[in-house]
Amino acid sequence: MMKVWAGLVILPALLLAEQQGSLGTSAVVARGDQLFAQGCAVGYCHGTAGAAARSPRLRGRVFERDYLVKVIRDGIPNTAMPAWGDRLTDDDINALVAYIQSLATVSGEGAAPAESASVAPAVAVKESELAPEVRQGRELFYDAQRAQRCSNCHRLQGIGTAVSADLGKLNKQQLGAEAVAAVRNARARRVREVVLKSGDRFAAVVIERGPIVTRIYDLKSTPPVLRHLDNGEIQGIQAQSAWRHARVVQGYTADELRAVWAFVGWAAQR
Amino acid sequence: MTRIILLLMVGAAIGWTQDGATKADWPAYGGQNSAWRYSALDGVNTANVSQLAAAWVFQTGDNDGGLQSTPLVINGVMYVSTSHNRVFALDAVTGKRLWSYRYELPKTFTTFYGPWNRGVAVAEGRVLMGTLDNHVVALDARTGREMWKVNVEDANQCGCNITAAPLIARGKVIVGVTGGDSAHRGYLNAFDLQTGRHLWRFWTIPGPGEKGHDTWAGDSWKFGGGSTWMTGSFDESLGMVYWAVGNPAADFYGGNRKGDNLYTDSMVALDVETGKLKWHFQQVPHDVWDWDAAYEAVLVDLPVNGQMRKLLINVSKGGYTYVLDRTNGEFLTAWPVAKNINWISGVGPKGELLGRNEPVVGKPKLICPSIGGGRSWNHGAWSPKSGLFFTTGIEWCQEVVSQPETPVEGKTYFGGTFKLVSTPDGKSGGHLAAYNPLTGKPVWRYEYKYPLLASVLATAGDLIFTGDAEGEFFALDARTGRKLWSFNTGSGHRGSSITYAVNGRQYVATPSGWGSAVAGLMQQYWPETEQFPNGSAVFVFALPERK
Repeated sequence: MMKVWAGLVILPALLLAEQQGSLGTSAVVARGDQLFAQGCAVGYCHGTAGAAARSPRLRGRVFERDYLVKVIRDGIPNTAMPAWGDRLTDDDINALVAYIQSLATVSGEGAAPAESASVAPAVAVKESELAPEVRQGRELFYDAQRAQRCSNCHRLQGIGTAVSADLGKLNKQQLGAEAVAAVRNARARRVREVVLKSGDRFAAVVIERGPIVTRIYDLKSTPPVLRHLDNGEIQGIQAQSAWRHARVVQGYTADELRAVWAFVGWAAQR
Repeated sequence: MTRIILLLMVGAAIGWTQDGATKADWPAYGGQNSAWRYSALDGVNTANVSQLAAAWVFQTGDNDGGLQSTPLVINGVMYVSTSHNRVFALDAVTGKRLWSYRYELPKTFTTFYGPWNRGVAVAEGRVLMGTLDNHVVALDARTGREMWKVNVEDANQCGCNITAAPLIARGKVIVGVTGGDSAHRGYLNAFDLQTGRHLWRFWTIPGPGEKGHDTWAGDSWKFGGGSTWMTGSFDESLGMVYWAVGNPAADFYGGNRKGDNLYTDSMVALDVETGKLKWHFQQVPHDVWDWDAAYEAVLVDLPVNGQMRKLLINVSKGGYTYVLDRTNGEFLTAWPVAKNINWISGVGPKGELLGRNEPVVGKPKLICPSIGGGRSWNHGAWSPKSGLFFTTGIEWCQEVVSQPETPVEGKTYFGGTFKLVSTPDGKSGGHLAAYNPLTGKPVWRYEYKYPLLASVLATAGDLIFTGDAEGEFFALDARTGRKLWSFNTGSGHRGSSITYAVNGRQYVATPSGWGSAVAGLMQQYWPETEQFPNGSAVFVFALPERK
């Protein structure tokens, strides 16, 4: 019985290889094997030939092709399974799918996988499509080696803490401003001066003023701290603050600020 | 009078002057900040442990990844964290829930290092926890209400998160990070306990211009790993924080990070006030085996050649236990906790590695122990009463294939693959043993067919508690290793048991709940373990109440 199923499993992979033209079945599976060894078998993930580790065993199990394509491309949110769509080509994903499906017969029972489906184009941006200045700006914006970096307070493209303005919503006119001045002298309309009854005073962005608790981002240190203050411990919140954007961006040179602005402009148009 | 002086001298000689034992409370991750995991409570002891019975059980409801936590108990309240950063405060006598907290996780993020959490810290009315998306949160210990929250680094960017319990020292929340198997540069951070404001950061990999930077070729320092994924220790009298630093990345391939790769695989001692390095001792220069030095630093005072010394004991993933002088990092000795070690032939008199046996690019090579370690992270215990150090050890091997890899920030960066294989003698499995900490001589050894993956608890009742993969939670005689009591909790043990007392009655508590990376890895060699059920519950035991 197992043999029959095994034959059925191999068949769609073979058909897929035919569709791909130049690469034969074994070449596609071999390419998938190679990709699997580099990205999926590593570390504590799926283990050599899908033998299991921290992530589930893939060997001896049957997966539908569509499911594999989707999971490889998009990942599984809130789990250890990352999205590979920005790093693998559609051909790579097809090869991986063929390889993983070939593991179904390594041990355990087999079953025919679902009909083949073509891989939808990956949505993520390929590195090569970015202008050099945009790419440099992106690195600077998120630069993990800097204590003071843009992403401490600005969330852009899903990365960073949304303390301040959403730069992804800047309009054409705003983006047209001279880069260095726009970044250095950005007005911090939302920054207030919080004074506590303990005597502590600090610049802050107020997130919510509730009847009992006030939520603020404390800007006294980097990264900013989201604090829940009992209204009873607050002496007052003043509109004027000595906090200046120029001070927190002083670690970036003028050239670097231009690159950052180029990245912000690129991101805002997406 | 003479007798008292004599007793004090004996006490000093075997380390009793150090107050590392817990009493009624279990206030910190390692018991106290010296990480002994030893309790002075002796109400439950070798004479009566056979009568130990379940007092209550608390089900957390989240089985994903098991329960790997160390519960804390302070003034009759138990604080326990679970996978996905849930926290429960329980009445430690009845198990009744006082409050619960659910951390708001973002809708999409990747938890390459698993959903689990290994514990909280409690101090000055606050409960502190590191999160799956790399934040630190402070909760009000009375209500569970959030007080402050700070993002250490964006988890989607760094591919890292926090699973270890924070360490509290002098009003500071000191917290590490995972990321040793990713393209990431590791660090340790201190935050103000009251406000959450950042106080200092120690980069585990020196940056340009810093001492040790030249131990990294080219730009490899930017993505060199060096995570701090467990909890460190603190010596108040020396003002030093001790933290063990994990492996360099890529784990199995070192071709593009030529050099010693400081401070990976090192024990570092930092000034608690500034985070500045006081000393370091590197166990494995240029590691190509994934041998984190990430485990606990046990701070003990012991006589060495007739002179009292302030020591630090650290079991390492490569299978050796290192004993250092914690005032200056001087190497004293290293001894193995596993028989199957072939990545080196031994450790020399100055701590240098002898006979390195490195993985090869593109060709399988037998390396023992396996990547899961000659011991996993589950902690050992030190009993000043018996003068013994108790730790588990694992006998297993693997075939490693090294492969070159190019780092992409925040993505996995492993440089190879591995496959678990049998030890040459065919006797893979685990054990728990009692060692003389200075000689490494085992006094007894308890054998088990699978790796033992739960921490050890030692008590003044001369008892050792731990649990196994099949759900047995058991007590051994600390002097002989003889099993005196056991109870099956229905799911395997991967957490850390504790003991505490409320109104004079002693309780023993253990997390139960199979899961984790190494538990998953076991399936490769022991396929039946795939069927071992997950779980997530706290089981609490006590002697029957006197009528």
